Amino acid sequence: MTERTKAERTERKRAPTPRMVLSIALAAAVVLLLVLLATHEGAIGVVQRAYATVTHGVLRGLGHDTAILGNVVRSSDFGITVVTACTGIFATALFLVAVLVFPTAWKAKLLGGILGIGGIAVVNVIRLVTLYYVGVHWPAALDAVHQLVWQSLLILSAVALWLLWAGRIAERRGAER
Amino acid sequence: MKREMRRKGPRTLTAHLGRFVLVFVVSLAVLAALWTVIAPTYTRLVGALSRPLFRLVESPNATVLSTQGAETWIYRIVGAHEIAPFTWFDRYTFFALIPLLALVAATPGLGWRRRIVRGMTGIGALLVVHVLYVVSSVELSYAAMGLRTVGPLAARTLDIWQIVVRVLWEAAPIVIWVALTFGAWRRLFARLRSGDSAGADARRSSWTGALGTLGWKKKEGTP
Repeated sequence: MTERTKAERTERKRAPTPRMVLSIALAAAVVLLLVLLATHEGAIGVVQRAYATVTHGVLRGLGHDTAILGNVVRSSDFGITVVTACTGIFATALFLVAVLVFPTAWKAKLLGGILGIGGIAVVNVIRLVTLYYVGVHWPAALDAVHQLVWQSLLILSAVALWLLWAGRIAERRGAER
Repeated sequence: MKREMRRKGPRTLTAHLGRFVLVFVVSLAVLAALWTVIAPTYTRLVGALSRPLFRLVESPNATVLSTQGAETWIYRIVGAHEIAPFTWFDRYTFFALIPLLALVAATPGLGWRRRIVRGMTGIGALLVVHVLYVVSSVELSYAAMGLRTVGPLAARTLDIWQIVVRVLWEAAPIVIWVALTFGAWRRLFARLRSGDSAGADARRSSWTGALGTLGWKKKEGTP
């Protein structure tokens, strides 16, 4: 293969395809949508209350006598308020952008999006429940666990979920060859 | 053949992921333990770089920044030789440095030298983000409280800008890490796609080698 042909191939490979442009546009739209969602009090309020409701349900299931008031879950021992930053919305946005810009079929991107939104939501509920436990049993460590441990674990879970999804796609492509 | 590759493939990915997660958690634990030592120096550095930026964006200068240990205090000049506390950034504001370094440490396929270079580059990039975060969030708070005049469009979109600043602050470690290690991941995915060296990679990525980055072989630059 001549050098010219190689260069032409590389050029063709790197040229943005309509699919790539559409993917980037969709990723930008997702970020914009989530920023608007985060700034819209009514919309983000629904997300906050949903997280509070699920957390309350889990804690009740674990035998805690909690009550819910809007986005606040509380008992006689401790209370947590689900604010915008506690909804995992930023990690979800980042995950969706990474899924959308990854070069693969739309169906796989859709599955990746569902996996990310669901996975991060589950991790976030676990985060809220554990923070409640730390608040009740180890209040002195609450700040550190909240900002130090869970900030890192949320990053890790978003990255690991994406790697799992992208790695599976890469493997499937390899297996199909 | 296909069947065998399918059987081998997921194991290789699981090994890579397992090793990534384990090295990340171990590095995070070690670095987080060092955070109390690192944080005051890093906070002082952010403060030292933020002060001239405050002077640059404010006319006349209205902000006095003071670092106390790992905390950053913002005072507002309210009169001649008189300041009043305005806000503060707690000792975890810049903690993203630790997960960023843990992510770099856990990335497969980087040699020691490149890992260190990428780690240092990451620290530099995150430092810039943190300086911009401190200055922009304080200035946006001034604007939201009417302490700083902004145009009508900026006034209407202030809450959006505050969220954007927050998103950038939160996303920064991941975005920087992706930018720094994109090549390493592309090579790993290419290997997973081609299916070659799956066995060797799986062995290299075994759990026994996962207890530290010492187990990583220099693979970068190999075809």
